[in-house]
Amino acid sequence: MEERRIQKKHKTGSVLYIILCFLFLYLPILVTMIFSFNSSKSLTRFQGFSLTWYERLFTDNEIMGAVYVSISIALLATVISTILGTITAIGLSKSRKIIKEIIINVNNIPIMNPDIVTAIGLMILFSSLKIEKGYLTMLLAHVCFCTPYVITSVYPKVRNLDPALANAAMDLGATPFQALTKVILPMIKEGIFAGVLLAFTMSFDDFVVSYFITGNGVKNISIVVYNMTRRTNPTINALSTIVIVVIMITLVVVNIVPVLTKKRSKKNLELEKEGIFISKNERLKKYTGIISGIILIVVIVLTSYAGNKETLKIFNAGEYIDPDLITEFEKEYNCRVIYETFDSNESMYTKIMSGETYDIIVPSDYMIERLIKENRLAEIDWSRLSNRDNLNKNIMGMNFDSENKYSVPYFYGTVGILYDKTVVKEDDLKDGWNLLKNTRYKNNIYMYDSERDAFMIALKALGYSMNTDKKEEIDAAYNWLIEQRVTMNPVDVGDDVIDNMIAGNKALAVVYSGDAAYIMAENQNLEFFNPDEGTNEWFDCMVIMNSSEKMILAHKFIDFMLDVEHATANSSFVGYTSPVEGAYQNMLETDYKGISSYTPVMGNKNNEIFRYQTAETKGYFADLWTKIKAH
Amino acid sequence: MKHYTKLVRPYLIWSLLIIVIPLLMIVIYSVTTGGNTLVNIQFTLDSFKKFAEPVYLQVFLKSLQMGLITVGFCFFIGYFLAYTICKFSEHAQNYMILLVTIPMWINTLLRTYAWIGILSDNGILNTILEKLGFSSISFMYTDFAVTLGMVSDFLPFMVIPIYTSLSKIDDSLIEAAHDLGANNIQTFFKVTFKLSIPGVVSGIITTFLLSVSTFVIPKLLGGGQYMLIGNLIESQFISVGNWNFGSAISVILAVVILVAITIMRKIDPEKTEDE
Repeated sequence: MEERRIQKKHKTGSVLYIILCFLFLYLPILVTMIFSFNSSKSLTRFQGFSLTWYERLFTDNEIMGAVYVSISIALLATVISTILGTITAIGLSKSRKIIKEIIINVNNIPIMNPDIVTAIGLMILFSSLKIEKGYLTMLLAHVCFCTPYVITSVYPKVRNLDPALANAAMDLGATPFQALTKVILPMIKEGIFAGVLLAFTMSFDDFVVSYFITGNGVKNISIVVYNMTRRTNPTINALSTIVIVVIMITLVVVNIVPVLTKKRSKKNLELEKEGIFISKNERLKKYTGIISGIILIVVIVLTSYAGNKETLKIFNAGEYIDPDLITEFEKEYNCRVIYETFDSNESMYTKIMSGETYDIIVPSDYMIERLIKENRLAEIDWSRLSNRDNLNKNIMGMNFDSENKYSVPYFYGTVGILYDKTVVKEDDLKDGWNLLKNTRYKNNIYMYDSERDAFMIALKALGYSMNTDKKEEIDAAYNWLIEQRVTMNPVDVGDDVIDNMIAGNKALAVVYSGDAAYIMAENQNLEFFNPDEGTNEWFDCMVIMNSSEKMILAHKFIDFMLDVEHATANSSFVGYTSPVEGAYQNMLETDYKGISSYTPVMGNKNNEIFRYQTAETKGYFADLWTKIKAH
Repeated sequence: MKHYTKLVRPYLIWSLLIIVIPLLMIVIYSVTTGGNTLVNIQFTLDSFKKFAEPVYLQVFLKSLQMGLITVGFCFFIGYFLAYTICKFSEHAQNYMILLVTIPMWINTLLRTYAWIGILSDNGILNTILEKLGFSSISFMYTDFAVTLGMVSDFLPFMVIPIYTSLSKIDDSLIEAAHDLGANNIQTFFKVTFKLSIPGVVSGIITTFLLSVSTFVIPKLLGGGQYMLIGNLIESQFISVGNWNFGSAISVILAVVILVAITIMRKIDPEKTEDE
């Protein structure tokens, strides 16, 4: 009696602990599911039930494309790696010891290596072989890391097989192929099944490898999620909820089916006893039928996806276009746009250096200068741009491309400090950029996660030119930034600054004037200013790469973006200042009425435009930046 | 079955091309200079020397530290969870293990992303704290957030192997220990724990491997200034464009993990007997 009571007490504790653990594991999943039904965009406050995000999900081409890529790659990679892995495992058991050891050890590499090492190895391989990155490279990479798991699940089963079995089958007249399919495969099917399951999950869940080796706008779900985390978008929650539900159903089915088949095989056994024999062959045929059916569907979808429309490849910064405009352009010109995004000019450049090509890219001033110097751009044929007169003449002819031979303005603005009027004292603004070192605001600052902008701030604060190549000035700026990091503990953010500042999470943030406009329209407590010490006047422009073979379509796209109506839609969506005069006026009257930062304050004599840096200076900056980030 | 030895050939060639050669290329990049093409390369150990600078060593130590902390939490929480699950009926065990497995099937990124909503300054956790009368705390962009994200993501990788080992233990062994006069604690350490070591080793290896090399969780939950070794590699390849330095760091990471795995394997009695 005593003992039982103790046991019971024990059990309550156990149950409690297990519940706590599951709560911990499932909390993020539950939150995701709940907020997928939220009527507002907030991920923190539930404001009512709605299915908006599900509707959005199914009309979102980017996400649906990613779902297609994730599923089709996972299916293909699973089929290929299962076949490859299974035949290897079968062959392995009978191979000479040395070959066996080589393969087993090599096979362990992708399992024991961190994802990121596998990923960069493949990235280097594909780049140096000049294989165009995209669907095929992603598939190859997935087969690369899935096959080892299949082999490790199948091989132990093969090893436990009695070798006499296959020989017996062959002695009885079976060909080696028949012995394989009729004797060996059925004996190891559990291992194969485990391998299939593992391969599919590994492939479906993969982010790191796909992220490094993808290209040509091919994205799986993970990559889309990664790109979207910068800005709140509950469509992802809707997607995850669907994924979670599908996985739960699959797992339940997978766990119930064996129970059912067990029952059925018992029945078979009974039938056999009664003399009715269901041939194994028939079942095998059924399986092959299902598998080939899946492959067929995948191939059909694949071909229809590729299509034969003319394509235009565009490379733009993340969250920097109204996606409806792309759809509209595709419809109007009956073409397909492959739209890829980058998170900084530097990463854009690295991508191009690794051999990727595009028709249109949208880089900033100094990067345009660099691309011109390196002869990577094609001249713009202005006569093909019927909307050219819509452009604001005041922001043309800048020093990076003085005659606009290569570049057509897209957005422009400055960099400044966004501050919370209720927290920051008006008096402190006199400090200019050194406001970012005012310890009153310690732990209360977002810095923009960009090498050139960070150094610009420090150099301007110290009274130097932001285009300096003097080592002592750069070193001084480096020390300024390190000191700021130590004393102020700022957080480096990218586009996530937008949601964070709208929510009012911190008092100060370094932002582009356009982001400031977007944020201020949502949060009335904020104001924006450009320090007197000068700032960066930046110009993002559309340029055409000279490798492009779609000159006519590329010009049509540029012209399309210069149309007043389209430019208005784009500026409204992104929040940045449009170089199209009509669009700018429209915005001043509507979305950004009374918002100061929508009109960039240009013309301070201390303001500069970023210039192209020599390889040496660039390397020097990059090194210091890595150190700052690592500090 | 000699007929089937030919079957390994495709994989032999395939693995050479897509597993061995890329690794060799990383090694070549790590000991050369000459930019991102292999046209005019020169041998140098500069990238490794650079890594020896205090800033980078600190990143490295921080990664190890975060990795070990994560493994530690996963181990204590995970072992106890696996142990507790084992006390239930076999039927209940199956369901509970299924529940542990399900999160592994759901995208890491999606789960990490959900933590942002929970931890952010105006997030769910802080709203609850405020309702309870506490002042809000900044969870995001701290070691706490990153550790929490890692433990929650990697915990199943610890629980499953430990559970597998524990569930294989023959109950009569434990009864025998009791009969021979061992108390509960003695039985646990001398019998149960010893027999579960293979699972523990496997769990520790997997969680360490994952937590030391991750770059997504620190980036999303720690912010852009939060730098672990994975982030350092990513930045060298994606934004800075110094593939040589990035390769050198990767080589170091791979070697460290290899060493860690070898050491862990030594502890595992089953594996050593095998060899």
